[in-house]
Amino acid sequence: MGRAGRAEERAGDLTGRAGGRRWHGSGTARRARWGWWVAVAVLLAGCSLRPSGVVDEGEAPTGVAPGVTLYFVDAAGELRPQLRRTGRLGTVHEAVTLLLEGPGGSGMRTRIATTDVTRVAVTATDGTIELLVPLAAADVTPLGIDQIVCTALAAHVQAGGARGTAVRIRFTLPGPGPDARRTCPLTG
Amino acid sequence: MSRPSRSAVRWPRPRGLRARLLVAFALVTVLGASAAAWSGARSAGSALVASHQRQLAGSFTDRIATIAPTLTYPPDQEALDRLRAALGTDTVVTYGDGRSASGDGSGLITEELRAGVRERHRLLTQRTVVGGTPWLLIGTPVMLTAPDGTRTPSGIEAYAARDLTGVRRQVDDLTRSAIGTAALALVPAVLLALLAARGVLRPVRDLRDTARRLASGDLDARTRPRGTDELAQLTVTVNEMACSLQASMAAMERMQAEARRFAADVSHELRTPLSTLTAVTEVLTDTTGDMGPDARESVDLAITETRRLVRLVEDLMEVSRFDAGTASLRPEETDLAGAVRECLRARSWLGRVDLVAAEGVRVRLDRRRLDVVVANLVGNALRHGAPPVRVLVRAEPDHVAVEVTDHGPGIPDGVRGHVFDRFFKADTARARTPGSGLGLAIARENARLHGGDLTVDGPAGGGARFVLRLPREPLGPGDPRERREAREPSEPREA
Repeated sequence: MGRAGRAEERAGDLTGRAGGRRWHGSGTARRARWGWWVAVAVLLAGCSLRPSGVVDEGEAPTGVAPGVTLYFVDAAGELRPQLRRTGRLGTVHEAVTLLLEGPGGSGMRTRIATTDVTRVAVTATDGTIELLVPLAAADVTPLGIDQIVCTALAAHVQAGGARGTAVRIRFTLPGPGPDARRTCPLTG
Repeated sequence: MSRPSRSAVRWPRPRGLRARLLVAFALVTVLGASAAAWSGARSAGSALVASHQRQLAGSFTDRIATIAPTLTYPPDQEALDRLRAALGTDTVVTYGDGRSASGDGSGLITEELRAGVRERHRLLTQRTVVGGTPWLLIGTPVMLTAPDGTRTPSGIEAYAARDLTGVRRQVDDLTRSAIGTAALALVPAVLLALLAARGVLRPVRDLRDTARRLASGDLDARTRPRGTDELAQLTVTVNEMACSLQASMAAMERMQAEARRFAADVSHELRTPLSTLTAVTEVLTDTTGDMGPDARESVDLAITETRRLVRLVEDLMEVSRFDAGTASLRPEETDLAGAVRECLRARSWLGRVDLVAAEGVRVRLDRRRLDVVVANLVGNALRHGAPPVRVLVRAEPDHVAVEVTDHGPGIPDGVRGHVFDRFFKADTARARTPGSGLGLAIARENARLHGGDLTVDGPAGGGARFVLRLPREPLGPGDPRERREAREPSEPREA
């Protein structure tokens, strides 16, 4: 340390004579110093949370509806949606239960055999809604199956579910074919 | 500079190379580390904030989506209150004119956000800072979806304000740790700077020492170059400079010595024919009585010029002896006043000179040389100055002085420094004077041979005053080297 200190002293002595030329006060130096401070201030300010503009964060939520959409068959034998004004959308379970209760006095028909037991079990997995209906496969015509599928999917989509979802219906007495994953012919 | 507040905050500017390198290294390191840490902290911080915001917004819509199917539509006040309650505090739910709000934060919702929600029908967020607290404002319409997936706005809008203080604390922690990391980089930077400074400063110091030795006259001084960098090249260049300087100095000294020897040889060679010439003119002097006036004038001229030539050659030989360093001093115990008076008396000047002499001053000096000096000074005063000419002999504790003052026009300031130069004539128009032009030069050499000096100045009353100062104990005669060194710096024009 002693050697270094002495060397520095001598080096200072060597350059000291040129030290008379000072440039502290020159305008360029002052501007340069201000530049430094501004840069530091910007650096520090950039670290905290500042106000921002309006940012889009994605799809708005959905799920309100004036009633449930049920699918029945009209006089011409075509599948038709019917809005049952319940005041709210409700769940898939409620929709299918209402469907099983029949069209009531609306003039529409159903291709599902009437049943006293309308309890439906709904299991939603990824991309598929599995319905356990209290019916035998023989109680339902293919159009009746479409009624169930469309009603379940409509309730699902209206509640914000994905449109590509499929429905698998399981009967208390299974039919001869496999339990296919179905989609609604009206809404695709 | 004039404002005291500025000078109060001015930092000391580092001067040494080492300090400057140190500061530069530290600055670069701190800037680099800060930039890296800052950009890292910034991107991490903004990712943190973005993910937090997304999570808040997602949770907001999830709650709406969960409760929406159970809400009556069109909603009554009770439905709005239920939705608002499900969304937590600081929330506003509106439908047409209906409105349900809770918490202070619900007042923060900006008009910008409301307009965006109404126009875009999307989930929107906006960050705002109120009273130093950062808030995330979330706004969304609740959509009405048809069975086929078509979405239309239901008219229900939900807004919420969420406090971001916790995230800000996390971001600040990130920044602080980044600054700490940057500060850690300072230590190796300073060590590196010290190493680099050592590598640079050592050759610079060596060079400086060499330059100092060269400046003080040691032309053999050299520095051994290390490595091949710019400093080594500089060292090589300095060495080459020293070599060529040494060579040219040697050549100059050789030429000077040759010139002196030539002058000495010439004057010596001139002396023999001049002796003959002198003898002849003396014979002629005896016979001028038999000549006509024209012939006598020519003979007188020849005699005068011959005498002048003899005097010039003698002076030249004296100067040569001084130059060659062979002039020797023969000091003897002398009464100064007596010696000066004897000098004046021998030249019959006592009547024309006002002599004021301190009696009884005895010094050791070379009588012949003192005589030469005094005769030259008084002769000059009588010839070029105007009477009265005063000679003052005085004694000081460490030296004695002889002052010769005349009352003529004096010597102009511009030429006063040159009167001791060889062959210098103050008045160029009056080139032909009886003097050789070497008198004052020889007088000064004589004074310096004694270890004294001869100076000239102009006193207030006009005229010129020459002062001869001699030390009470003159230098020994066998020390010509010291005498030369004392003389050389003051007469660079001699070459």
